[in-house]
Amino acid sequence: MSDQTANLEQVMPEAKTAFGDQRGIGILVPLAILVGWELCGQFGLLPRYIVAPSKIIATWWEMLSSGELIGHVGSSMFRQSLGLLFGASCGTIIGVLAGMFGPIGRFYEPLVSLIYPVPKVAILPLIFAWFGLGDLSKIVVMTISIFFPTYIAAYHGAKSVNKIHLWTAQNVGAGKARLIRQVVIPSALPDIFNGLRIGLALSFVLMVTTELVVSTKGLGYVIARAEENLRFDRMYAAILTIAILGFCADRLLLKIREYFLVGQLMSKDRGHG
Amino acid sequence: MSQSARIVPISSGISRPPQTTSEPLLRVESLTKTFDRKGTRVIALDNFNLNVDDGEFVAIVGPSGCGKSTFLHMLGGFESVDGGTMSLNGQKVTRPGPDRGMLFQEYALYPWRTVLGNVMWPLEVQNIPQTERTEIADKFISLVGLTHFKNHYPNELSGGMKQRVALARLLALNPKILLMDEPFGALDAQNRELLQEELERIWDTSRKTVLFVTHDIDEAIYLADRIIVFTARPGRIKADIRIDLARPRAMEIKKSPAYTEYRNHIWDLLREEVLRAREEYAS
Repeated sequence: MSDQTANLEQVMPEAKTAFGDQRGIGILVPLAILVGWELCGQFGLLPRYIVAPSKIIATWWEMLSSGELIGHVGSSMFRQSLGLLFGASCGTIIGVLAGMFGPIGRFYEPLVSLIYPVPKVAILPLIFAWFGLGDLSKIVVMTISIFFPTYIAAYHGAKSVNKIHLWTAQNVGAGKARLIRQVVIPSALPDIFNGLRIGLALSFVLMVTTELVVSTKGLGYVIARAEENLRFDRMYAAILTIAILGFCADRLLLKIREYFLVGQLMSKDRGHG
Repeated sequence: MSQSARIVPISSGISRPPQTTSEPLLRVESLTKTFDRKGTRVIALDNFNLNVDDGEFVAIVGPSGCGKSTFLHMLGGFESVDGGTMSLNGQKVTRPGPDRGMLFQEYALYPWRTVLGNVMWPLEVQNIPQTERTEIADKFISLVGLTHFKNHYPNELSGGMKQRVALARLLALNPKILLMDEPFGALDAQNRELLQEELERIWDTSRKTVLFVTHDIDEAIYLADRIIVFTARPGRIKADIRIDLARPRAMEIKKSPAYTEYRNHIWDLLREEVLRAREEYAS
């Protein structure tokens, strides 16, 4: 985050003019694929495991109106939101503290280097052994996984606070608590939001992954059952639901980011919103 | 040189004894600062002495890297002291405090706070009640002419406006001494001149003690009552010059013969040091 940020279109205007200035030009290719896909479905040219969009929507609507989908979404989102909440708050709080205080940083940094590269899914069987096959083990895996990207983002955010900003705070006589609350956290916030965005995506990935392994309810469970019953339409409907949820959650996060970073985003990038 | 010495009678001394017998506001005694740069010891300040009286506007000029900013940062309490003492109003300076307000070249505004929020911040830290806070902040924002921008964020403002906000915040802090570290160094020539005029006008009404570090001789003469010329590293006082130009000062003063005398004199002094500094870097 610096004053020097610019996007490609500003640096290379020809990149913009090459596609004209029309909005929505980017949607043309996906739309063409969708139409082609649907037509192939109508003429029976698709294999069994590829379902036409209209059929997916029909199944999706049926699952939604019967209330079946809501139950699975609720079950999945319950675990996902708790995992995100615990993981992101631990990661962010410890990250800020580690970035501010040398000893905490020196304790956590090598630990993070050691554990971060290990895929948390690899320890899933262990976690199941310790915490059982229910919600708890899934929430634990998500918490651990989400801790890392949020920790790293918050750590760097807190570490790269402008020296002059800290001096100004000391100059007016601000105490440690106020320094953290009113200077370190606001200036680390752009980085913290980057971490949260990665954490959010990760929470959806893990939500489905853990449910695919073992579950009795949830969107991952729907996919796993649909595979066993060769109900590919239900599979696509579940994937579609995950995509919609993920999209909405990401947009919501960007809106929250815009609200909190109002002064810092001015005349700079406005996210991808 | 002899001519300037006639016009500027107290200028020739290496370190001038305090003019008044009363205790100066700021007393700096045998201050020393060393850096460790890639294994070699660099002496930034060597046995530096300075007294500043209450209500004086003192400018510090010197070749770049002479330790003038370092001195200001030490006085602010941001950099460690390797030897000697500094005392403000008889109290030893050991750490940052609101009695010594800093103005940095980089504005140092919080981008997440509006103009009003930035100016109110020192008052917030000092637990001044909300209504009084807004009142004081409004007063200083209008003093620097930014009332229409008080709900804007710093990123919406130009460099000159940002530095005005920082000045308003500094005045709201109400310190005993104002420490300004090349505050207008990042501004373009026109804005710099506007800000100088504004600072002169504001200072004339408040007469607060100011230590103003700059590399711009014109700025120093226009603003200051007294100019300290630093030697090249290690920083010592080469000359201590009183500027006897009537206040309030208009920009036209820069055209007066007395001004030109001061300018030539200080430039000669500074030039020797700049050349010495260059030799040192070259070797």
